[in-house]
Amino acid sequence: MTENICITTTSAEKTLNCGRVLGKLIDRPLFIALTGDLGSGKTVLIQGLAQGLGIPPEHPVTSPTYTLVNEYDGRLPLFHVDLYRLSGPDDTIDLGLADIISGGGVTAIEWSERLDGGDFSPDIAIDIAATGETDRRISIFFYGTGIENLVEGMKHFLQQ
Amino acid sequence: MNILGIETSCDETAAAVVENGCRVRSSVVASQVDVHHEYGGVVPELAARKHIENICAVVDQAVAGAGIGMGNMDGIAVTRGPGLVGALLVGFSFAKALSYGTGIPWVGVDHLQGHLNSVFLAARPPSFPFVALLVSGGHTAVYHVISHTDARCLGHTRDDAAGEAFDKVAKMLALGYPGGAAISRMAGQGDPEKINFPRAWIDKNGFAFSFSGLKTAVKRHIDTHADYRSHMADIAAGFEAAVVDVLCHKLLHAAEETGCADIAIVGGVAANQRLREAVSKAAGVQGLKLHVPDISLCGDNAAMIAAAGYHHLVDAEGLRGRLDDDVYSRARI
Repeated sequence: MTENICITTTSAEKTLNCGRVLGKLIDRPLFIALTGDLGSGKTVLIQGLAQGLGIPPEHPVTSPTYTLVNEYDGRLPLFHVDLYRLSGPDDTIDLGLADIISGGGVTAIEWSERLDGGDFSPDIAIDIAATGETDRRISIFFYGTGIENLVEGMKHFLQQ
Repeated sequence: MNILGIETSCDETAAAVVENGCRVRSSVVASQVDVHHEYGGVVPELAARKHIENICAVVDQAVAGAGIGMGNMDGIAVTRGPGLVGALLVGFSFAKALSYGTGIPWVGVDHLQGHLNSVFLAARPPSFPFVALLVSGGHTAVYHVISHTDARCLGHTRDDAAGEAFDKVAKMLALGYPGGAAISRMAGQGDPEKINFPRAWIDKNGFAFSFSGLKTAVKRHIDTHADYRSHMADIAAGFEAAVVDVLCHKLLHAAEETGCADIAIVGGVAANQRLREAVSKAAGVQGLKLHVPDISLCGDNAAMIAAAGYHHLVDAEGLRGRLDDDVYSRARI
């Protein structure tokens, strides 16, 4: 199935909340690909996702740009990956990305456009675009099977 | 007592020999030397594969540069974490095997603990306890340093590290990536007061940092000023001033809160000239002593690991490495 919804937010807090709602709905291992320009709020969305996954506030979600992969323990483990510094597909092999994605947790990858297309197919793709100083357009594409509850839940959130 | 240090936690393959935790006999960082010519001219980056290609040559060069044979080494210290597991495992397994083969004792060292020990490689080291600002591409935190092996985190970044903000702003200004040093050079020609970027204090009495909002503010300025190329130096200067103000304030405030008279800046961003100047000036006013490592020991290196490892081996026998020890990815201090 492919479904998509579009959510507009007017502040970082609201972007965080969108991530939190999605995180609360997630009940199985999932691969989420994120795209969006520098400063668009990808990490903010993941911070919300982490809250929704029940990751305790003592383990704040910080940018993985340098560390490449950050792990957190919640209801499901969260692997927060950032491909910003990678130069090409070879690096994703060295990073062990395939193992991480199939590792039984929620894998959220920033700058996922740097992935070698064919080898990786996300369950959910999220693109964030800055439309104003604090306004953001969050487009969520659902590709995976068995995630109907996420689609319904996010549609319900959108209606509120 | 001579310690061989090995560091492979992130981008750099590094090895060093340090005597008594304070005198650097040799320090080799793979991306800064000619070893990569042997491997086709590729500067080693983040790949574990590249650490594997480099590690033998880098360790050989450090041991040879120290002027003492491997047989005269009294200990091996290696970074255990935090970092990228695949990268850490290269140095960690190498150190274990080297220890197993030679019978030389080894110890796993925390990478951040290594940075905190880098000030002991300078001529007049601080006295305990002191406060240290650890600021690099991957970390930004203030520590109350109790001993060579004990430090307490007073606060750290909630989002981006300061060094990361430097590199990302450099990218926005098309100065290349990583470009922290390029930003600083450009900032030198600009007016830091022309553009007033936000200072992310969060809580002026607390020690948490946030640099994500500043990064976004610079991006916003660029997006809304079509003529931004005409005042790039002012953007760089304004950005740098915003980072330096916050870092300087938090470090000085930590000294005040803990009553420490010695303060230190360590990590890659400690090489930033304006940060050094601002903290040095403020420290002078308050009668504090500022300690910074030599520029060559600010970024990731193995000399700091050897220095910390020396104290782990001498002061705390119980910390000695065991063959079933494993690396860790997340910060523990």
